[in-house]
Amino acid sequence: MLKRLLLICTVLLFTQNLAANDQTDLKNHFLKMIDEVTLIIGDNSLNKSIRNKKIIDVLTPTFDFELMAKLSLGKSWKKLNSQDKQQFVELYVKRMEKSYSSKIDVYSGEKVEIKKIEQAKRNRIALVTDLISNDENLEIVYKFHKPKEKIKGKDKWLIYDVEILGVSILKTDKAQFREYLKEHGISGLLTKLEQTL
Amino acid sequence: MRFIGFIFFIFIAFYFQGCSAKNTLHPSEMFNQQEEPLSSDEIESNLEDEELFEEFADETDIEEIYDPFMRYNEVMTTFNDVVFENFFNPLAKGYKYVIHQEIRESVNNFFHNILFLPRFANNILQAKFKNATEETGRFVINSTIGVLGLFDVAKSQFNLEKHEEDFGQTLGFYGVGSGPHIVLPILGPSNLRDMLSLFPDALLSPINYDKSVCYTITDTWPEYIAVSAYNEINSLSLNLGEYEKLKKDAITLYPFLRDVYEQHRVKQIEE
Repeated sequence: MLKRLLLICTVLLFTQNLAANDQTDLKNHFLKMIDEVTLIIGDNSLNKSIRNKKIIDVLTPTFDFELMAKLSLGKSWKKLNSQDKQQFVELYVKRMEKSYSSKIDVYSGEKVEIKKIEQAKRNRIALVTDLISNDENLEIVYKFHKPKEKIKGKDKWLIYDVEILGVSILKTDKAQFREYLKEHGISGLLTKLEQTL
Repeated sequence: MRFIGFIFFIFIAFYFQGCSAKNTLHPSEMFNQQEEPLSSDEIESNLEDEELFEEFADETDIEEIYDPFMRYNEVMTTFNDVVFENFFNPLAKGYKYVIHQEIRESVNNFFHNILFLPRFANNILQAKFKNATEETGRFVINSTIGVLGLFDVAKSQFNLEKHEEDFGQTLGFYGVGSGPHIVLPILGPSNLRDMLSLFPDALLSPINYDKSVCYTITDTWPEYIAVSAYNEINSLSLNLGEYEKLKKDAITLYPFLRDVYEQHRVKQIEE
């Protein structure tokens, strides 16, 4: 009996440790990534477009764009043919890159600080961060998931949603796409995405 | 006779319109038409996707926002957008060009400071006593050492944070739903709850159009509008480009701004 209890205890401790390790690993990885990005932004010798490209190269392995694209279409995703699927993912990725670039352009030396780490499930971690500027702090939550099998060329933990002041990119996109699909169908949405790039 | 002919013509016209309407596709049918028989690979990937959607269902479930005023809201959003781009934004840009950044920040601090009372009251109403105390501390310090609120000494020297609360948040705190989304002229996105909440907050605000309250700095409508507009333009001059940046992520402007507003309010109420 005692032996069994001991075993359970060790297993519990072990798993808890693992979870804690995941969290610290992810935290360190994230901070390293932010440092890298800040370094590139601080490099005045680069022009804007090269700089933004470099930053996106640093960030890409951490973002699960394909999953984001799928989730943002929701049920409609399954109704697309493979060609449309591919085109949609491509346009979605480009759209995210552009949106991110325009946000970097207005960056002016704010610092990123991790406030909280939340782990709702074994394979989900949310990093609650503050973007600290002299006026007000901007709360940004980065939501990570761990795919069952590691995707080639990607990190172990991948971002599938970003929440800025409570506004989720995923949810907003999903609502937008759904509304647009209702009126214009998938070909309409694809054309529209292409136009906004 | 002519009259009967006319009626007949209208009847025919409607009849054919009905026919053509029948031939148009419902959006859901448009997908079905494109569907081809699936290969085994595709079936497999669809199954995988199904699992994915289920796994992330808790994160992506979005409620359909109750929106009976959609048509009006769309028109008002376009109106606001045009007014913003052609009037407020250029004005704020010009103002920024003329007035030094530090002065604009001080003006912003001043307005923030005199709007202490509604913030304080709403913190109390939500039983956030610690925040209410901090707000009071901020008001006392900034009004005195901070020279009538021109400098935010409370934040820089005493580390006292702002705690924004309004009556809409108070109602939300007690479980009042947002009601239909309503876009207000000039003021932008709102909903029934937040719109009605403007009134109780205005009662406590020193920028007011009512003569009866003694401590207000404005007494008449024109004064009220002038001071409010100045406050808005000043704060806009400190946040130039934010709206344009936000707008870039929109596919269609109105539903996008609506969702952003509603999600942001939910977050504010949760805090």
